[in-house]
Amino acid sequence: MAGHDAGSQHQFTGIAKHFNSYTIIGRRNCVLATYASLAAIFLFFKLKPKKKPAVTEK
Amino acid sequence: MTLSLFNQFLSPSLMWTPLAAIALALPWALFPRQTARWVNNRLLSLQSWFLGQFTQQIFLPINNPGHKWALLLASLMLFLITLNTTGLLPYTFTPTTQLSMNMGFAIPLWLATVILGLWTQPTQALGHLLPEGTPTPLIPVLIIIETISLFIRPIALGVRLTANLTAGHLLIQLISSATSVLLSILPAVATFTITLLFLLTLLEVAVAMIQAYVFVLLLSLYLQENV
Repeated sequence: MAGHDAGSQHQFTGIAKHFNSYTIIGRRNCVLATYASLAAIFLFFKLKPKKKPAVTEK
Repeated sequence: MTLSLFNQFLSPSLMWTPLAAIALALPWALFPRQTARWVNNRLLSLQSWFLGQFTQQIFLPINNPGHKWALLLASLMLFLITLNTTGLLPYTFTPTTQLSMNMGFAIPLWLATVILGLWTQPTQALGHLLPEGTPTPLIPVLIIIETISLFIRPIALGVRLTANLTAGHLLIQLISSATSVLLSILPAVATFTITLLFLLTLLEVAVAMIQAYVFVLLLSLYLQENV
């Protein structure tokens, strides 16, 4: 719990080098990516233009 | 009838003047201040010994930068334990039954530990939101769960103290009301309720001290994670 994980026993390649659940940097990046994804989804639905109903002649 | 059970938790006022300030100032008036004498009297020595033992035990697992919180947490512990135990006296008001007061302690102190962690060691503070060794498909779910549990902490801290104290006082009032009614009607049953009331009072004294300790202990754990 206390102390930092050096992660020296894990050899990651590719995207796993930056996003993994073993090294502290990897865990931090996963957390930031999750928050960024959630913010992006929220902003997408917030800024999505709403469809106006078609105006018909009476 | 239902309303009268909760009247004991109303914040006292006299001529529209809130008396809660006097209730909150009581612990300050009860404890003697440190003197410049080389050897103090027994009461002051006992108080110093207790505070020293408590501070040493709480701060043993915390790193040196966190030791700045020693005065705050030790005084908070003494404050809460005094309010809780004096509230068990008859006809006294217990400020720690008020959720507003407990949240007033819990939220700023919890937020301070979170901000401290994000400011001094942001990588570790953010990294702790994902348990080590989590399988890849579970990573987003676990991060959301850990974030929710992080924000639940101050609510749990405040509500735990409020609920324990309120429930205890309510039980004492219910059983003592039952005892006073039964004394004239069924004295034999009243002896049972008197015994129950005595045991409950002992339990409430223990709960009063334990809940104050748990409040401060949890805050020290949150500090330990972030410092």
